[in-house]
Amino acid sequence: MTQVQLNSVRKQFGHFVAIENLDLDIASGELVALLGPSGCGKTTTLRMISGLERPSNGAILFDGKDVSEQAVQDRNVGMVFQRFALFPHMTVEKNVAFGPSVRGAPKAEIARKLDEILEVVQLTPFRTRFPAQLSGGQMQRVAVARTLITEPSILMMDEPLANLDTKLRVEMRRFIRDLQQQLGITTIFVTHDQIEAMELADRVAVIFDGRLAQFDTPEHIYRYPRSLDVADFMGATNIYPGRLLSRNRVGTALGEIACPHQNDRSAGDSVRVLLRAEALDMSTGSVESGGPGFQGRIKARDFFGASVTYRVACNGQEIDVTENARRMRDVGDDVRLEIAPEQVWLLNG
Amino acid sequence: MTARERRTRILQMLQLVPILSVLVILFGGALVMALLQSLGFAPWFGINTFPDFSYFGSLWGSKIFWVSLWLTLYYATVSTFLALVFGTMLALALIKAFPGKWLYKYVYKLPLMIPYTVGIALAVIMLSSGGVLSRFAAFAGLIDDPGQFPQILKTHYGWGIIAVYVWKQTPFITLAVYAVLLGIGRETEEAAAILGARRGAIFFRVTLPQILPGIVSSTLICFAFNVGAFEAPFILGGGFPDTLPVVAWRYFNDADYTLQLQGMATVVSIGIVAGVILFAYLWVYRRYERRMGRH
Repeated sequence: MTQVQLNSVRKQFGHFVAIENLDLDIASGELVALLGPSGCGKTTTLRMISGLERPSNGAILFDGKDVSEQAVQDRNVGMVFQRFALFPHMTVEKNVAFGPSVRGAPKAEIARKLDEILEVVQLTPFRTRFPAQLSGGQMQRVAVARTLITEPSILMMDEPLANLDTKLRVEMRRFIRDLQQQLGITTIFVTHDQIEAMELADRVAVIFDGRLAQFDTPEHIYRYPRSLDVADFMGATNIYPGRLLSRNRVGTALGEIACPHQNDRSAGDSVRVLLRAEALDMSTGSVESGGPGFQGRIKARDFFGASVTYRVACNGQEIDVTENARRMRDVGDDVRLEIAPEQVWLLNG
Repeated sequence: MTARERRTRILQMLQLVPILSVLVILFGGALVMALLQSLGFAPWFGINTFPDFSYFGSLWGSKIFWVSLWLTLYYATVSTFLALVFGTMLALALIKAFPGKWLYKYVYKLPLMIPYTVGIALAVIMLSSGGVLSRFAAFAGLIDDPGQFPQILKTHYGWGIIAVYVWKQTPFITLAVYAVLLGIGRETEEAAAILGARRGAIFFRVTLPQILPGIVSSTLICFAFNVGAFEAPFILGGGFPDTLPVVAWRYFNDADYTLQLQGMATVVSIGIVAGVILFAYLWVYRRYERRMGRH
């Protein structure tokens, strides 16, 4: 188990700055997701931690020891590549045994470890097959086994689920999470899928344009994004400009909304109001004059199987509301929307 | 087979006619004629002793033939091997980023566009005892007179021949291997490095097996060319005993046109030797491929 620290890490390719002063503190045994849009620098960060790239400035520390200049072979890290990067000319067992073999481990030890790890990833019946004869999920497991057999101090994964179909993604997500918890290995993975990041990670580092936008637990990032960009990337749709009427009340085009007490803001401050689509309560009937909530009419409906999202026209604005799909409402229905004050999140305007 | 499938099949066969005609008539026909002549069938010269193995008998029975064969194979193998080593190294370098790479990517291909004869002329200008290198060595005081410069051309070591072949074929092999390297990407090498493999292990255990198809196809072409080429050994070689293509050329060029049959036996011998070596090479490679799971 290894603690990983990135201190003011910067990476420049020619004139292009891929990473700008990135600070990250990953605890021992933690599972961290580097989340961001394509080209934001998350894979570059992973490659720097692994040693495949050297930082232009700053330091990378493993358990407090600076490894920035250490060769990739000497870092004892493991990496599962997005397209698995299996050796196509080697069988499953040769792929998996490659690490210990090049490290000069005795043959008997390699054979013992190989048997063990193939059992763990449930690939024993496929040990003599070549990568081209395996399914995507099996290749993924070979890649994981090939990495784990070297007992790396840090496990890294670049978009580990990107090349798998929906059913396999669920299976592999569970597999990775269970394995990580079982081994307690510090794990860092890269993804551009916020759902994947939230489901897998203990903490998520959101990166935009080479800068760390937020590093927090999935719940905090989802509920309490620090910026409009983070909120937007995490899928927030209902964001409205507003002005604080008091420290716990905000005025918007939708109407007045009760919000949590704002210690750092005062009345008159302009803000952005984030209302999570699933945090809104929708009911039939009309709002009493002066009562809580807003009146609206359903304009459109998107069915997602387990859930359904309605687009509701409300005081000249549009607002998304997500509900469980057990009960379906119809387009044109008049509805009343309410939201609990603790579900309202304010961003700087 | 349905009528539509039959029509498609006929159409496909018709599309193959042009290339098949070239192969069967020009290549196959020439091969048959060469074989017939080498076995004594040349009525247009007033000779028809078919089947007559005496041309092969006299050729293979001569000690000189085996020296010529050795020289032919020696030049072809050493040049192909050196071009392979340089070409592979160059291709490996080209997939990495370095300043001026864009320019280098054009420059290295230049020999491909320059004819062999120009390369031979360059070798004469540069490497002969009165050439640029010898004069430069004399000018630099390394030798007293350009005539003292070690003989590079016109020796049976074939340095000049090998130099021309390597100069011309290195970019060809680079091109083939570079294309394969671009196709396989760098991820497997990076994965190997992370797993603890050093540079040597990465090359021999990960990169080489993957670029082998490119290596085999390009070296096959280079070797086949080197075995059959005649200009470079003719101009830059050490003279008698010559390589087999030069021997054949001398027979064809002789005032006694009946010696052309002996020349044909020489050409067919080159074909047999090259064919056996190349088929053995491919057979070994295919076995390896099957062992690697590639079918």
